[in-house]
Amino acid sequence: MNDREDIDGLAAEYVLGTLDAGERAEVAARRQREDDLDTAIGAWERRLAPLAEAVPPARPPAGLFQKIEARLANAAGSATGTGQVIELERRVRRWRNLAAAASAVAACLLVVIGVREMVRPQTPSSYVAVFQKDDVSPAFLLSVDLETRMLSIRMVAAERPPGKTYQLWIATEQSGGVPQSLGLIEERADITRTVLTAYDPTVVQKATFGVSLEPAGGSPTGRPTGPALHAKLIPSPR
Amino acid sequence: MTTAGDVSALLRRVAGRDRSAFAALYDATSAKLYGVVLRILQRRDLADDVLQEVYIRIWERAVDYDADKGTPIAWMAAIARNRALDEVRRKNPVSIEDAPETLEIAGDDPSPLDNLSLSQDMQRLARCLDGLEADKRDMVLLAYRQGLSREELAERYARPVPTIKTWLRRSLAQLRDCLGP
Repeated sequence: MNDREDIDGLAAEYVLGTLDAGERAEVAARRQREDDLDTAIGAWERRLAPLAEAVPPARPPAGLFQKIEARLANAAGSATGTGQVIELERRVRRWRNLAAAASAVAACLLVVIGVREMVRPQTPSSYVAVFQKDDVSPAFLLSVDLETRMLSIRMVAAERPPGKTYQLWIATEQSGGVPQSLGLIEERADITRTVLTAYDPTVVQKATFGVSLEPAGGSPTGRPTGPALHAKLIPSPR
Repeated sequence: MTTAGDVSALLRRVAGRDRSAFAALYDATSAKLYGVVLRILQRRDLADDVLQEVYIRIWERAVDYDADKGTPIAWMAAIARNRALDEVRRKNPVSIEDAPETLEIAGDDPSPLDNLSLSQDMQRLARCLDGLEADKRDMVLLAYRQGLSREELAERYARPVPTIKTWLRRSLAQLRDCLGP
């Protein structure tokens, strides 16, 4: 079986729904960076969509829409703004698509030029870090406002394996590069925290951030123990 | 009756952050999407939670909807199915004995060609599905509509999981060759 066939078979089973939780998470992460997989999934969604048409409708309970509206209102009101993070998430996705469309070298150039064009920070205190790894690994988006030291992190394409949790770390020059915990990353929720208020803005700006996979409840040792992703802050694109 | 064109127009307004369009979109589509997630999850409490998340995602992602890539309802149904499947896979697999409802459905589903009011796309898909052997076709329908996993299908058809995987991949490849890109 060649690769092409394999990708199409995987996409087909993803859309059909027969993959297990781990495989689904892997495909969901991969489609963010693999255009051919994403395209194959789109094609299968179209092919099989008529089957969903034939599923009998069912009336959702009264009041459900009010709950949805309340959740949207909460999200819009949160300090660093879920909307802003989602906006960033979309840009990151576009960059990735743009990058994937060109050859590796051209992609680098495009990104550099694109970033130069796009990065005109309205608020110079707004920074973002993208945690990304090829293949199956999760991706996170961290945004930090250096002025208020508010931090917000969002799982972009990550599924938490059962019994595990993701933990956020900061390593600074002051701490001699030793990672210090910034807390656990809760599933599905954006964390907005003031944990950075203890740090000097210039220290935060130069710090390395890490996300590690830990046992439920967080690292038992106070240091990262599982596989980790690292990222540094860049000025937030506008 | 809301047409696909109406839903497209609503979705565009939702992309522009129009809350009243979002309410109208919910009214026009929630019964369809709730039907889809409820069929997979088989539990109203879970379906209620998932449906909320689905509409929040639709609100957040409406700007990404691309009309060239399918109808708006198909795009929304894909979001709903994906969330429901993630949720149902997260749980411990329910054994078939615990969920007697799932036993009835294959027989209950109308043979796809019985209903002449089905859309052209559905009729085309139905013809291709009819090209599969009966049990392979049922397997595809059970998986898509009710979210059965390979393991659940293996139990149901008394075959090893790898055999089920092979059957599914072959059936899907046959469908693709019949339907075209």
